[in-house]
Amino acid sequence: METIIQSVFSGILMGCIYALIALGLSLIFGVMNVVNFAHGNFVMLSMYFTFWAGSLYKIDAIFSPIITFPLLFLFGILVYHGLIKQTLQEHYTIQIAVTVGLMTFLGAITQLVWQARPRALAYSIVQGTIRFGSYTIALSRLISAIISLIIIMIISYFLAKTWPGMAIRATSDDSNAASLMGINFQRTYALAFALGSGLTAIAGGLLMTFQQVDPTMGLRFGLLSFCILALAGLGSITGLVISGLIVGISESLAMTFWDPRARTLVIYLIFILVLWFKPRGIFGRK
Amino acid sequence: MNPMLHVNEISSGYGKITILRDINFQVKENEVVAIIGSNGAGKTTLLKTISNLIPATTGKILFQGKDIVKFPPHMITQLGIAHIPEGGKLFANMTVYENLLMGTYNHRKNFQKSVLEEIYQIFPVLKKREKQLAKTLSGGEKQMLSIGRGLASQPKFIMLDEPSQGIAPKLVDDIYNKLSILKEKGLTILLIEQNINYALHLAERAYVLENGKIVMDGSSEELLNSEHIKKHYLGL
Ligand SMILES: Nc1ncnc2c1ncn2[C@@H]1O[C@H](COP(=O)(O)OP(=O)(O)OP(=O)(O)O)[C@@H](O)[C@H]1O
Ligand SMILES: [Mg+2]
Repeated sequence: METIIQSVFSGILMGCIYALIALGLSLIFGVMNVVNFAHGNFVMLSMYFTFWAGSLYKIDAIFSPIITFPLLFLFGILVYHGLIKQTLQEHYTIQIAVTVGLMTFLGAITQLVWQARPRALAYSIVQGTIRFGSYTIALSRLISAIISLIIIMIISYFLAKTWPGMAIRATSDDSNAASLMGINFQRTYALAFALGSGLTAIAGGLLMTFQQVDPTMGLRFGLLSFCILALAGLGSITGLVISGLIVGISESLAMTFWDPRARTLVIYLIFILVLWFKPRGIFGRK
Repeated sequence: MNPMLHVNEISSGYGKITILRDINFQVKENEVVAIIGSNGAGKTTLLKTISNLIPATTGKILFQGKDIVKFPPHMITQLGIAHIPEGGKLFANMTVYENLLMGTYNHRKNFQKSVLEEIYQIFPVLKKREKQLAKTLSGGEKQMLSIGRGLASQPKFIMLDEPSQGIAPKLVDDIYNKLSILKEKGLTILLIEQNINYALHLAERAYVLENGKIVMDGSSEELLNSEHIKKHYLGL
């Protein structure tokens, strides 16, 4: 029993970070109907940047988003204008080809620059554990989960209450009608892409406070976020968080009670089951 | 005096297919002008071309003397043109209030709540439904919200694409009553309609669009009495 609770708890903490990653994917997909297959590699790239910032400039992983967020935000704008914009009028297979191409490209770059070796930061100011009765939790994981939820709430607020946020929602409902309101929807698309990409910087920094990065992670985080998005559907951030938790908990239980190597398998299984039974997601609209 | 809108030799279409050919017409300030035509005549295409949702292949569109044919859609609305698109085209997953708010997007730097109050006065039902998602409204309410959203941009000139489409006859009366209020307030209106009786009773002048060409124009009275209109549009 205690092992179950311990395992569920660490799943919940991971799930919050997963939800943050999936939120970026969801923003991009929701607004311009483009599935960014490179999304997981954006997370991986952010983790390597965090590693660099930490090992070369002694910047703590938890603070690295101060540098990596603007970097990934800018990268998102460049990718949007350089690659995505040109494919919006095309058949969706072309968009897939372009983002899968980007995924492969980023994968190759990270292998060249950082080699296949796992990289980790030796030290973060967030360390140690706290005890709840007989359970122990790594402080870094707890704080990462809390920061993820705070960022998700900030994005929620941004979408609900600010002009650029509302412009993003209006554009995702009807881009032509949005432009009739005076919204430059190309700029809105670029903003959504940049934001979606920027969020991976925050997630990457948080992850590096307690784990290493290696070149297989891009694929894993990509798959994870597709799975969460498929579970959640579009339009509900609460649904996205719950889906993140479901995936986090399932993964954690699989690692505890089955085999640590089964984590990706379980995520893939959930993905398939959702596609079979609930193709529009559990929490999505329509 | 210069007309408010002067469409000059405009042609446009979809891809390689040309729909509109050499369209010419004018709307003067404070005028209500209708463009009537049956299904597939090209009425919606014409409004989309004015808003540059689809590009014109030839010709000029002068708005208050300025050629706007190359302006992107979001800049055209900034000049004071409101386009109420066919079928409403609301932001389905946003509330009624948020839809109206998006209408004020051009004035977001000095947003004034009084603009929305004025719209609620014309369409009290929108005030009642304020917090509801647009997709949950009835057909008539959707049309009113779409008109309200267009008015929220405080336009000088408003273009409506078949405000009577898909709405029960009693509600069409309602909507046309609201439009005549706007007309009395001095708003310049370009009205696209299939429902000729309604259109010609609101408008002072009209153009008849058939197969992408303007085949006739005149005052509403002249058109209502013309044999061509009687025979082909009113079934008399
Ligand atoms: N997206 C499109 N691609 C290709 N052809 C189109 C497209 N939209 C409309 N058309 C064609 O353009 C012609 C004019 O269509 P349009 O929608 O302008 O007609 P309309 O006068 O508004 O008709 P209705 O009264 O039914 O709304 C039609 O023949 C239609 O099939
Ligand atoms: Mg039409």
